[in-house]
Amino acid sequence: MELSDANLQTLTEYLKKTLDPDPAIRRPAEKFLESVEGSQNYPLLLLTLLEKSQENVIKVCASVTFKNYIKRNWRIVEDEPNKICESDRIAIKANIVPLMLSSPEQIQKQLSDAISIIGREDFPQKWPDLLTEMVNRFQSGDFHVINGVLRTAHSLFKRYRHEFKSNELWTEIKLVLDAFALPLTNLFKATIELCSTHANDASALKVLFSSLILIAKLFYSLNFQDLPEFFEDNMETWMTNFHSLLTLDNKLLQTDDEEEAGLLELLKSQICDNAALYAQKYDEEFQPYLPRFVTAIWNLLVTTGQEVKYDLLVSNAIQFLASVCERPHYKHLFEDQNTLTSICEKVIVPNMEFRAADEEAFEDNSEEYIRRDLEGSDIDTRRRAACDLVRGLCKFFEGPVTGIFSGYVNSMLQEYAKNPSVNWKHKDAAIYLVTSLASKAQTQKHGITQANELVNLTEFFVNHIQPDLKSASVNEFPVLKADGIKYIMIFRNQVPKEQLLVSIPLLISHLQAESIVVHTYAAHALERLFTMRGTNNTTLITAAEMAPFVEVLLTNLFKALTLPGSSENEYIMKAIMRSFSLLQESIIPYIPSVITQLTQKLLAVSKNPSKPHFNHYMFESICLSIRITCKANPDAVGSFEEALFMVFTEILQNDVQEFIPYVFQVMSLLLEMHKNEIPSSYMALFPHLLQPVLWERTGNIPPLVRLLQAYLERGANTIASAAADKIPGLLGVFQKLIASKANDHQGFYLLNSIIEHMPPESVDQYRKQIFILLFQRLQNSKTTKFIKSFLVFINLYCIKYGALALQEIFDSIQPKMFGMVLEKIIIPEIQKVSGQVEKKICAVGITKILTECPPMMDTEYTKLWTPLLQALIGLFELPEDDTIPDEEHFIDIEDTPGYQTAFSQLAFAGKKEHDPVGQMVNNPRIHLAQSLHKLSTACPGRVPSMLSTSLNAEALQYLQGYLQAASVTLL
Amino acid sequence: MPVVSKHSERLRKFKNKGKDTAALRRQRVEVNIELRKAKKDEQILKRRSISFSLMDESLSLGEEKRNEIIQLSLEEIVEAVNGSNTELQLQATQATRRMLSRQKDPPINQILELGIIPRLVEFLTRADNAPLQFEAAWALTNIASGTSDHTKAVVEGGAIPAFISLLSSQHMHISEQSVWALGNIAGDGPLYRDALINCNVIPPLLALVSPVTPVGFLRNITWTLSNLCRNKNPYPPLDAVKKVLPVLVCLMEHEDKDIISDSCWAVSYLTDGSNDRIQIVVDIGILPRLVELMASPELIIMTPALRAIGNVVTGTDEQTQAAIDAGVLAVLPCLLRHAKPTVQKEAAWTLSNIAAGPCQQIQQLITSGLLPPLVELLDKGDFKAQKEAVWAVANFTTGGTVEQVVELVQSGVLKPLLNLLLAKDSKTILVILDTISNLFLAAEKLRETERLCLLVEELGGLEKIEALQTHDNNMVYRAALSIIEKYFSGEENPDLQPGTGQGGLYDFSVEKQDFNF
Repeated sequence: MELSDANLQTLTEYLKKTLDPDPAIRRPAEKFLESVEGSQNYPLLLLTLLEKSQENVIKVCASVTFKNYIKRNWRIVEDEPNKICESDRIAIKANIVPLMLSSPEQIQKQLSDAISIIGREDFPQKWPDLLTEMVNRFQSGDFHVINGVLRTAHSLFKRYRHEFKSNELWTEIKLVLDAFALPLTNLFKATIELCSTHANDASALKVLFSSLILIAKLFYSLNFQDLPEFFEDNMETWMTNFHSLLTLDNKLLQTDDEEEAGLLELLKSQICDNAALYAQKYDEEFQPYLPRFVTAIWNLLVTTGQEVKYDLLVSNAIQFLASVCERPHYKHLFEDQNTLTSICEKVIVPNMEFRAADEEAFEDNSEEYIRRDLEGSDIDTRRRAACDLVRGLCKFFEGPVTGIFSGYVNSMLQEYAKNPSVNWKHKDAAIYLVTSLASKAQTQKHGITQANELVNLTEFFVNHIQPDLKSASVNEFPVLKADGIKYIMIFRNQVPKEQLLVSIPLLISHLQAESIVVHTYAAHALERLFTMRGTNNTTLITAAEMAPFVEVLLTNLFKALTLPGSSENEYIMKAIMRSFSLLQESIIPYIPSVITQLTQKLLAVSKNPSKPHFNHYMFESICLSIRITCKANPDAVGSFEEALFMVFTEILQNDVQEFIPYVFQVMSLLLEMHKNEIPSSYMALFPHLLQPVLWERTGNIPPLVRLLQAYLERGANTIASAAADKIPGLLGVFQKLIASKANDHQGFYLLNSIIEHMPPESVDQYRKQIFILLFQRLQNSKTTKFIKSFLVFINLYCIKYGALALQEIFDSIQPKMFGMVLEKIIIPEIQKVSGQVEKKICAVGITKILTECPPMMDTEYTKLWTPLLQALIGLFELPEDDTIPDEEHFIDIEDTPGYQTAFSQLAFAGKKEHDPVGQMVNNPRIHLAQSLHKLSTACPGRVPSMLSTSLNAEALQYLQGYLQAASVTLL
Repeated sequence: MPVVSKHSERLRKFKNKGKDTAALRRQRVEVNIELRKAKKDEQILKRRSISFSLMDESLSLGEEKRNEIIQLSLEEIVEAVNGSNTELQLQATQATRRMLSRQKDPPINQILELGIIPRLVEFLTRADNAPLQFEAAWALTNIASGTSDHTKAVVEGGAIPAFISLLSSQHMHISEQSVWALGNIAGDGPLYRDALINCNVIPPLLALVSPVTPVGFLRNITWTLSNLCRNKNPYPPLDAVKKVLPVLVCLMEHEDKDIISDSCWAVSYLTDGSNDRIQIVVDIGILPRLVELMASPELIIMTPALRAIGNVVTGTDEQTQAAIDAGVLAVLPCLLRHAKPTVQKEAAWTLSNIAAGPCQQIQQLITSGLLPPLVELLDKGDFKAQKEAVWAVANFTTGGTVEQVVELVQSGVLKPLLNLLLAKDSKTILVILDTISNLFLAAEKLRETERLCLLVEELGGLEKIEALQTHDNNMVYRAALSIIEKYFSGEENPDLQPGTGQGGLYDFSVEKQDFNF
């Protein structure tokens, strides 16, 4: 493409079309531009347009297109063609800086981004004059130009804040410092001068302050990795000026906007960051300046208003004080009683007040409010910063601080008592203050775990929290109700149990409060109380203690789900689950109504599942209903099936992907409840479960395997007789799973169930194929996980079909195969098998090979007999071998392999541990001794001679121990 | 030259735990790039002699006649030096020396431009004129104390052999001045250091050390010896080191603190290298004395002694054991609590390398009561020292047994460690995250994962790790994410992935092939 007017014209046309709302026009234009972007001069044409076009839209459009072009093409990727020709690259670098600086702001930003993308690749080696070019512009006196340079510099240098130290990085920084630090310092001083000469010119001040913000940001980046010599030498200049900027105020810079931070706030906030950086990393050098900054920042806090626009500044400033006051050598700055009082009074208390914005969130944006308040996503809030400062001060001054605050708490409570409806916010602040003062450590699971011993939490609870919750109306002063409930929740481990028991009916009645926050907190508090542990690992609150409240609790919980805004409230659903789990059989009388409500809910949410946690707890609650009821009355399973299958069918038919794995788990649970032969309703579904489409979704695999295992346990005979034609499909699923390194253990779970439960004749014709398939995986891509599962499987097979059958089938696939597997797989790898049941299966299987397989005694396999015995004794006695070869570190192993299905996404649909050799063999060591004894009586003399020639001494000693324990001797 | 310890990239997977503990030891390597000011506590590389400056500059002091000051212009100096009048030569050389000994801004460049250096070197050989030899030696000493270019001019003027032969001068003050000049030349870098060694500087230099050598002279000799041991790329030749070392051992027993300090510096340079160099120092049996000196109240002695021992423990397990046997662990607690941040840092670095050893050494570290000061340092130390302490903890958790890790956690390491997740340094954060993973591995073995989870949350660690999931550094973000996913991803979270597939049931079939495992 030539740099001709005609081409410029064409490009203009196409750019214009890319802005067209009609896709029929827009898309082809975009396609066209993409098709020509590889041509030489294309980027230069764009640059020409963004500079010279008559139309502003085209200028802007060209600049955006240019930036995206640079983003896609500038980087030279190894082994890929260079997408921009060298002469274009040179021309772009030669022109872009002046062009950026002379462009209007909208275009300047795009070009500045483009420069930093180019800079990331080319700076400094391939763009050596960039810095000089930028620095020279500082002299221009034109702050539009200067800010352009500063912005570009900021985007080039900000990566110094997060990259690891390296020679390459530091070489670059050094280069930048040499060229940039002095001009930047001079610019900083000059800009501050200008601020005072233009102190009455609002528009000039705005530009100048934008520069100062960028300069302060650059300072942060350049000083991040280490304290540069230049900045250490010029610390006086920088810190003195930063300090005076912190104390500066100018009416002209104040904004009317309450929400958005103004330039002054942004600058001061960045200066707080800079001071914090120096205080943390360069304490030794910064020490002389620090006290001044502490005073300035504290004064700043005292004089800054409550508006939202100051939030970032205030929380940054408080965090600075919090980090400094914890350091032993700055303790003296805070220790004076007046200082402490003043910080408490003027910094902490005001920032703990419940503000209009909080009130708004409480009422109109409850979900966000709960997330911030309950789940601690409040890191940047004022309240949180104030709380951190309290904790920081308590490190050295717990007594005085507690004393000062006790006074405040009392006076705020008195204010409240005078006129609750007007002064309720005082009480809110008092509760918040007590909470932050008392809590030293906290977790979601246990609430506060370490408390300030100087605060009497129970007394405060009885005198000030309970009365609010006992008041007749659950809807009065909702914020205070929420505060009170939260107090119970977080101090549940500090308040004595009898007080918690008094609170339970109060919490139950607050489930009816209209405020979303209040009834959510009530549900959450109940759920947390129900999970507290008492002695002997039981729950602290017992089902017996809850007996009087069962009905009202269940009624209110389900009613709360009908309150506006809470139809899919996960806290309530979790409380339902936890109540079921705590109350156990006392919920049985209410199950008919409960299960109806749960299925209705399930039906409703399955239309559009949107709350994963809510859904999960709902299914857990369903599982609990089933387990609890059927434990007392196994026949009840039918009524659950009746209630649930209709909804389940709908979910499966509509392919509600989020719910299908849950449905399979609930079905597994139901099927396992059946004591007799599998019902026909389940059999009708069986072919559908083998549909590939289901198995393509990874989330379905564990629950589907689990379900098929339940089918095999309960219905193997029915499958063999009524659905024999589906056996290849079933094995096909096994084959599909075994092919995947991620899912092969699931394939083995299925295969183990097939071998254990299916009548032997029904799978006879497939057995050889199964082994061939496994051998192929073993040959082509074996992993430790695969080998572990494989070992468990062949030993299970050996137990089920006999050792001779195992040897015969191996050797029928390939001569001497049995020996090869023994020598190359079983003997060297058996140590890796993990899990008690898995180890037992292997022990019994190997014992069979040793003692019930004639070819082991009288063919060339005999030489493997002793090594195999030695390996078996190793399995009993040596620690598990958990080494994994290097190349396997990067394979994702989500589940540990083993015999049982490890998957139990729904905790309450969990599968019981299953031990297929449990009845047969109790102690595998004794079993080995007895089996060896039996073998030795069949061929006297052979066994002792094999042992004495090649079993090592240690193993022999163990073996003698087994023989003694079994009271047998070898002949 | 500033020296820092570099944190070599530790990309090792923790699953390889215990495979390569040597890789954990972090050597002190010179980084080519330094942003900081040169460190104040480094030994001085070159020194100018300004001892008589006061007398020279103030005429009012009423000095002796023969020291009367004669002011000469530069032109006059050139003329006189190049002339043949011995008296004028001496006057001019003295004037030159005096200008170069001025306290402020000595005119080294101007003197250099006069082109008189070869001539001054020539004066060194004038055995008949001791005052001239002395003045020339002094002037050249001060020129060599300047920049590399200045030293180069002196060397290229042929000063090396001249000074070496003056070491054996009859006049002690000339010999002493030569020692000083040679020290400045050696301090320039490995090139001139080795040039001196190749000119056989060591035997005559060592010959000057005797029980009767005055203390001031001995200080100069020790300092010059230390410069002969200094610098890397390449290291000083081994046979030279072997010659110097026994003398240093004696010097370390001297009562003068400057002599002890400089001999310790020399040993610290000798240990700052490969393990075979460390071995030479270990073999000569000096470690107990070094450890004793580490406990000295004199900063100028303690600093280089600590460095030397710090270097020794970067070596093999056996070398580290030798330092432990010499008692280093008993001295470290005090140094970890030292008021000076650089001492704290150096001590923590030393500790981090001992913690990188086998679990027996870690056990000795515990038994010697190092955990409390380590935790204190992590909590309240200067940031530079905290960074090293983090490494110490990281190494400890990598090589320690489960019981040892439990002891570490019980000593309260977790709280300050988690607090440092707020550090403004990506590498430190990453090392802490790796350490947390190590702690979880240990907890898994004890089936205490849940307790550790709670502890981490309770100490405010969870929210910090969560916040790091948005960190700009990729490795930090991934490490944080993996901890959250592995240990804190909650009780339940349905994870569903959609997929597509058509057709009937799966087909079960297989082709046979030959197997050979």
